[in-house]
Amino acid sequence: MKTLNLLLTAAANVMRQRLRTFVVIICLIVILLPFLTATAIQEGVKEQALLSVSEGADVYVTMDMYGRNGMIPVEMAGEIEKIEGVTKAVPRVISRIYIEGRLAVLLGLPLAELEEKVGFIKGSAPGEGETVIGRGLADALGLDVGGSIGLGVRVTAIVDHRPYIERRIYRISGIFDSAGIWTSDLVLVDIEDAISIYEMEGFVSDIAVYVRPGYERSVTEEIQKINSYFRIQTKALAERYMEQGFNRKGGVFVSLYVMALGLAIPTILVLSGFGLSERRREVGILKATGWQTQEVLEMVFFENIIIAVIGASLALLLSYIWVRVLNGLLIAQIFIAEVGNVAPFKVPALFTPMPFVLSFILALVLTMTGSIYSTWRTSIVPPAEAMR
Amino acid sequence: MTGVPYMMECRGVWKIYNEGRPHEVRALVDINIAVRKGSLTVLTGPSGSGKTTLVGIMGTIERPSRGRVYLEGREITGFSDVALSMIRRERTGLVFQNFNLLPGVPAWENVAYPLIPQGVREGERRRRAVELLSALGLAARVDHPPEELSGGEQQRVAIARALVNDPDMIILDEPTSNIDAGTALQVLEILKGLKREGKTLILSTHDSDLFGEADEIYRLKGGVLEGGG
Repeated sequence: MKTLNLLLTAAANVMRQRLRTFVVIICLIVILLPFLTATAIQEGVKEQALLSVSEGADVYVTMDMYGRNGMIPVEMAGEIEKIEGVTKAVPRVISRIYIEGRLAVLLGLPLAELEEKVGFIKGSAPGEGETVIGRGLADALGLDVGGSIGLGVRVTAIVDHRPYIERRIYRISGIFDSAGIWTSDLVLVDIEDAISIYEMEGFVSDIAVYVRPGYERSVTEEIQKINSYFRIQTKALAERYMEQGFNRKGGVFVSLYVMALGLAIPTILVLSGFGLSERRREVGILKATGWQTQEVLEMVFFENIIIAVIGASLALLLSYIWVRVLNGLLIAQIFIAEVGNVAPFKVPALFTPMPFVLSFILALVLTMTGSIYSTWRTSIVPPAEAMR
Repeated sequence: MTGVPYMMECRGVWKIYNEGRPHEVRALVDINIAVRKGSLTVLTGPSGSGKTTLVGIMGTIERPSRGRVYLEGREITGFSDVALSMIRRERTGLVFQNFNLLPGVPAWENVAYPLIPQGVREGERRRRAVELLSALGLAARVDHPPEELSGGEQQRVAIARALVNDPDMIILDEPTSNIDAGTALQVLEILKGLKREGKTLILSTHDSDLFGEADEIYRLKGGVLEGGG
């Protein structure tokens, strides 16, 4: 009953000292909101990326070119497909491309593979001389199904050492209707068109290899036997790279955040001591009327728990609004490459319990540091001194 | 042990602020006082004579620099913070010159605050507080915070708070200094009633109207007890 009394009194105090409570909660929100929002976006992007890897091919094969990934002859797809355990070997062209000054990703796949993507498309899958583009790109450039888009250039003739250049124009047969992060700025074309755009006749960027369960290791070894210059990337390796990439980005954010926090902590310590002389007098009154130091501290502890719960919960709510309503405005770009202040697609986010728990603990530590020590110091002096 | 059934006793009590520093203040010098059970003891003297400091020491909210303090013959000078808190909770009720009520808190809650850490339920706390406030003529003001009360009403709320634990001894610091003459008379009546109930009362005052009820009067001047105690 005593503990319940102290808890209820703490709640009443939090309500009574409205200004102090308000100021401290605002400070907590300012500190916790970027952390919760960034963590949710990072987790969301990571989840989608890992899902994409897990749903992709089992093995990707490229050539080693001076220690980097290089083009691989397209006929290797046929060779690889003969290996026992391989269900499919799909040659791909994947590269960056600038379209009217906007950076996009061009993906070339065999027409048969494109058919499988129809379910995601508004319009139809691309045929020869056609393309399907992402929603973000379409919106940014004002394009729609039936319109046309220039993808790279070709030299049609050289007269007197002067090249005659012609833009490669493609008809837009469809638009990726999903607002997903990976298709927003994607340009999907038939692989022959992609090879032509990059003038890499006979070569592709990589070969995506699909393998029956249990054959991954043997298939990898067999592929390596075909050519020792092949670079083979398995699904597990891709996942590891992905994790490392996100952890690095997360690490950069955390470093910047810790610096900001370093500046914020003294502020909240000063603010949580807001009304300290009034609190000092109150503690003196409580002690003079028979309260013990431990009871005073217990009540202040409950006050801080209440404030921390309110602060962390409001920060979580506002974080949710920031991501879902404001679509991660200004913050999504930290975790998603090539995204400006306003993401042209729905920013993925995943709210997990751990960041909220950490936020609550951080809020509690901050408010405690600001009040428990000063309350304890006041509690242990004679009440007459505290009330003076 | 002193061997005499005094409620409160001070022996050779000194209180020195900033001792050994350039601004050293000797608030009390070698004070010897004995307060009998059930008596009304008055401490008087001009402003700055040390009355509030002595009241604070007897109320255990201040520690003496030197000397010994006894409660019912038991020395409490070296008691721990916890033990002194228990004395304040169970044995003494304090009324301060400036009332020291919690701002923004209704009168009944101010009165009942000492009961919170004792685990008394809110309903019971309110019942006891309202009963005391009603007895002191504040039945209509129980839900008003101190800011909405007059000086006299605040004084009575402070008295009710001092009584809520039903203490043996009530210590009042200048109980009539911040209230008008009419209210001072009401306070005097309250004190008479408490004395009739057998409570031990210690009060510091300038008010000579209260002297008539006193069993013992001590005069302080410059921190020294006139007549040597």
